[in-house]
Amino acid sequence: MSEESGRGPSPEERRMWTTWVREHAVRALPPEKLLPDRQPSYVSSWIYVFGVATIAALVVVVVSGMILGLGGPSWWHTTSLGRFFNGIHLWGVELFFFAMVVHLWGKFFMGAWRGGRGRTWVTGAITFLVAIGAAFTGYLSQQNFDSQWIASEGKDGLNSVGVGAFFNVGNFGQMYTFHVILLPLAVTALVVWHVLLVRRHGVVPPYPAKVAAAKGSAATSSTEAAQ
Amino acid sequence: MARLDFAALFDLSHPAHYLHWHFFQMSVANVIVILLMIAVFIVAILAPFPKRERTP
Amino acid sequence: MSTTAPAEADPAAPWPGPFVRYDLVKELVVALGVVTLLAVVLTVLFSSPDDPPTTIQSWAQADPGDFLATAATELSGTSEIAEYGPPYNHTPEATQKVGPLDLQSTPGVRIPIDTAKDFVLEPLSEVPANPRLKAALAAYQAAPPTLQEAWTGAYEGALAKARIVRGVPVLPAGRYGPVAPMMAALLGLAQSGGLDGALLAGDHRFYQTNYTKPLLFLSGGGYFEERAEGQHLLGTQWGMMNETGSYPGQVWLWLYTFWYQVEPFLESPNADALIFVLMGVLSLAFICIPVIPGLKTLPRHLRLYRLIWRDHYREVEG
Repeated sequence: MSEESGRGPSPEERRMWTTWVREHAVRALPPEKLLPDRQPSYVSSWIYVFGVATIAALVVVVVSGMILGLGGPSWWHTTSLGRFFNGIHLWGVELFFFAMVVHLWGKFFMGAWRGGRGRTWVTGAITFLVAIGAAFTGYLSQQNFDSQWIASEGKDGLNSVGVGAFFNVGNFGQMYTFHVILLPLAVTALVVWHVLLVRRHGVVPPYPAKVAAAKGSAATSSTEAAQ
Repeated sequence: MARLDFAALFDLSHPAHYLHWHFFQMSVANVIVILLMIAVFIVAILAPFPKRERTP
Repeated sequence: MSTTAPAEADPAAPWPGPFVRYDLVKELVVALGVVTLLAVVLTVLFSSPDDPPTTIQSWAQADPGDFLATAATELSGTSEIAEYGPPYNHTPEATQKVGPLDLQSTPGVRIPIDTAKDFVLEPLSEVPANPRLKAALAAYQAAPPTLQEAWTGAYEGALAKARIVRGVPVLPAGRYGPVAPMMAALLGLAQSGGLDGALLAGDHRFYQTNYTKPLLFLSGGGYFEERAEGQHLLGTQWGMMNETGSYPGQVWLWLYTFWYQVEPFLESPNADALIFVLMGVLSLAFICIPVIPGLKTLPRHLRLYRLIWRDHYREVEG
């Protein structure tokens, strides 16, 4: 490989798609940026742990979901072990939304979209909405009275705007497939993109201090223009 | 779980109690979740964070 | 690299320093441990809810009068599902609209449901060894629509005055034609559990995971709705947020269910469509906060950030 000999890629290698992807990936996220061992000094509040807490809860939800999948959709109704893992899955979901909402409140009050971090906010907000959809299909997949009622009510909202004709909440097979593969893949892909954006742009710095504000509004208004 | 019937320590299968205020009505469980979220948010902001050594 | 924090940093530029050691991987592992422990504790304390589903059988056994009243409206084509419109059937003026927009009609009838055929006539036609039922079905299907309407109308009216004798409604004398024996046979089929299977395995299919027909049939009955009301799951009870029993529900749906409680949505026939679109607009606004004037500068004016970053401000402001 050209890197091993110390020189950059040759013109032929540069034309290769693999080289292009590798060079762009490494330029955007060199290893020290992808997995830094330090953070800016202002990252010193417990509010900062709720992002990783959300990810941890997502892992608990996905792993418990996989275990539930091993037994199939009726397993948790008929065995105590299945019932236990259904509990982990449900409470994992409650913890996931709990942590995500506290994380989003914190990020809002920090104006975390400043300095070119708009896409970080956007991917996070979309993750929240897609996760609500994933939870909805989960409730529909329970195969109990709750899922019957949610299906009979949910159909009206979806039918009223034409979506119900394609996304049929009464079709268990369709809802289960959305729930166990399509939406978890979407949520996971969005979370990965979100985290890579945080690593790329770094954690948003504080708003200007009073000392800086007193120096004149010119500095702050130029920062706002950059937002 | 080795036991044949996994029963929770607290049985929540009875109908919920609801709090009413004008046209708002919310189950006690949901109110607890929302209040906990607000409390945890406030504690997260106010609780002191361990000082870390500055690094070059 | 700077050893003192700047009072004002360009948020788009790399932070010039200072830095602190921060172990992200250890943080993730600790978070995994804490969240797993919390999930296990909550599960051991509370488990999860599992109210058994309502079957057509349990409905027909517990409330045969309600079952028959619902079945009669499905046969006469006057039920909510029969008059729903797309995606189940063509019914003029049945759809919800957002202003002039009729989104409900756009995909057309993609999940065709003929309530008389799917919920009553076809299941009954599969019942074997019942010549009286076969004759009643033939007589009903051969009769003109006005006569069919007269029979089902009389039957529905009489049901309200029926006595329940050994789980079966006994109607006063009247001109019900073949509808009375048809409904009696349907009740028997339902109470035996056969109708659950017939609705699911319609079209002679072996494998089936689509519960649309039994769900729509159930949703037309008062029994199903009463069970939901008992668990505070109705739309007017903020039901979208609630769970069976005393468990927390989908708390994050609070704003979605809120609109159903207030005017103009409370009495509107287009409530579902209007609220869906409204929530779509609000969700889009939520996503686009970074570019919405007023919203994007709100955190700076609220100044809660002074608390979050108080260590930093203490250092740079002396």
